[in-house]
Amino acid sequence: MMLTVQHYINGLKSGKILGSKCKKCSELMIPLKPVCSKCGSFDVEEFKTTGKGVVRSFTVIYVAPEKFKDKVPYVVALINLDEGGTVMGRLAGVDPNKPEDIKVGTKVQFEALVEGEETVVSFVIN
Amino acid sequence: MKKVDLIGVGMTKFDKHPNKTSRDLLVEATREAITSVDKGIYLKEDVKGLFVGYFTPSLYEHQGHSGPLITEWLGLTGIPAFRTESACASASAALTTGYFAIASGMYDVVMVAGVEKMTKLDTPGVTDALSIAADDVFELGTGITFPGLFALMAQEYFEKYGGNWEDLQAVTLKNHHNGSLNPKAQFQAEISAIAKKTAIKKDVTFKDEMDFLKSKYNPWIAYPLRLFDCSPISDGASVAFLTSREISNRFTDKPLHINGVGLSTDTLTVAGRSDLTTSEATINAAAVAYKMAGVTPNNIDIAEVHDCFTINEVILSETLSFFKKGEGLKAAQEGRTSLSGDKPINTDGGLKSKGHPVGATGIAMVHEIWEQLRGEAGERQVKGNPKIGLTCNVGGSTASSMVFIFERGEK
Repeated sequence: MMLTVQHYINGLKSGKILGSKCKKCSELMIPLKPVCSKCGSFDVEEFKTTGKGVVRSFTVIYVAPEKFKDKVPYVVALINLDEGGTVMGRLAGVDPNKPEDIKVGTKVQFEALVEGEETVVSFVIN
Repeated sequence: MKKVDLIGVGMTKFDKHPNKTSRDLLVEATREAITSVDKGIYLKEDVKGLFVGYFTPSLYEHQGHSGPLITEWLGLTGIPAFRTESACASASAALTTGYFAIASGMYDVVMVAGVEKMTKLDTPGVTDALSIAADDVFELGTGITFPGLFALMAQEYFEKYGGNWEDLQAVTLKNHHNGSLNPKAQFQAEISAIAKKTAIKKDVTFKDEMDFLKSKYNPWIAYPLRLFDCSPISDGASVAFLTSREISNRFTDKPLHINGVGLSTDTLTVAGRSDLTTSEATINAAAVAYKMAGVTPNNIDIAEVHDCFTINEVILSETLSFFKKGEGLKAAQEGRTSLSGDKPINTDGGLKSKGHPVGATGIAMVHEIWEQLRGEAGERQVKGNPKIGLTCNVGGSTASSMVFIFERGEK
């Protein structure tokens, strides 16, 4: 089965961040990729993460694109997942006006955030 | 493979140009490029192909198909022409295509160009247009922006090597100083002059430059980056002519040899990278360019380095091996990258102060190398007769990187 972007989006909607695992060399790719980045094999399968991880880096957005203009300021972070790999997501439950209080290494959990018709990758402090 | 020379360059002033479209800007830059060719060039006879970098004409001008458009406006209909796109490295993609065309022996003279007409949109509109250089599915859905992506890098840099936003201001101050000496720059003003002007206009006082930079007149865009850490929204165009080395003396006795070309990519998503304090694409591209040119980082007299955000000049100055990892910030603070330093970087003011019409930037960098290596840079001329220059133009969050090494031809 070829993994597509739609698989990933469906995964988010069902509360899971999906990765993929190479059936040839067992390389784990998070988020999912259709081709193994290590051995080049197209034979990969879906891998479900727990959605648990830690804050790797973050920023507070004050000037946003049109679509997010009304939401500023908000925090976007890179999260290192426990199973490996990094994903980008909104960081909820923190005060964007006090960035100095947000600490790298803080444990977080994935939680799908529905904004209009879209599912936004979001993390809450664990 | 044929050797390639640069025989002329031109650019518009980078600025808001409300009454000029991209084609007007390209015509203006072309006129200047023609006058830069010492022994003259006749476009209609000499130019055999045209490659033009423009990142998002569809969003800014509801226009595609840049190749035949610009050839029609330059009276060159018929010659091969197309647009190249690699986000903020689109002009370097045009330069690369021109290089390939000459090196292959297919053509002997080509024109390469870059342009972006950004100021037709408001700031959220431009933020949106620029953002498509990032991954729409895995990044943009979170509400991240380009300043945001580089802010993530800045945070990781400070976390790993120390330093803070205030330290980064060495880059802001230096590039505004250099820009104040460049008639092509959008902001021809030192930060102190901008502070003074703001103080009068708003009826406030600032103790010094840093007091201004910390004030609400330099607001956060994406923590930890403020407005003056970001390159501006600009309109502009840049043009260069390339020939094979065997015929360059028909056009000039003072060409620049293009001795190194290095190209590479990184993951489009920043999340795909193990270290945000470096640029893998630039490490790879620079290694190829240095080897091809037969030089080391120590041999580079001046460099144009993609400072779309202050932090990126620091990261790339380390990635290009001008300084050790983690020492780029200190080097900037010590003045080593200033006009009189041992490794002058962005002598034209950089993207920060010269302006950053994204599709034009790569060849505008070449414009500065041309003037500096030929001793024509006026007030900002680097002393010591610089002979070898480097440009490092990156696309998006450094997901693509293109490095060129130029050496003044000796006759």
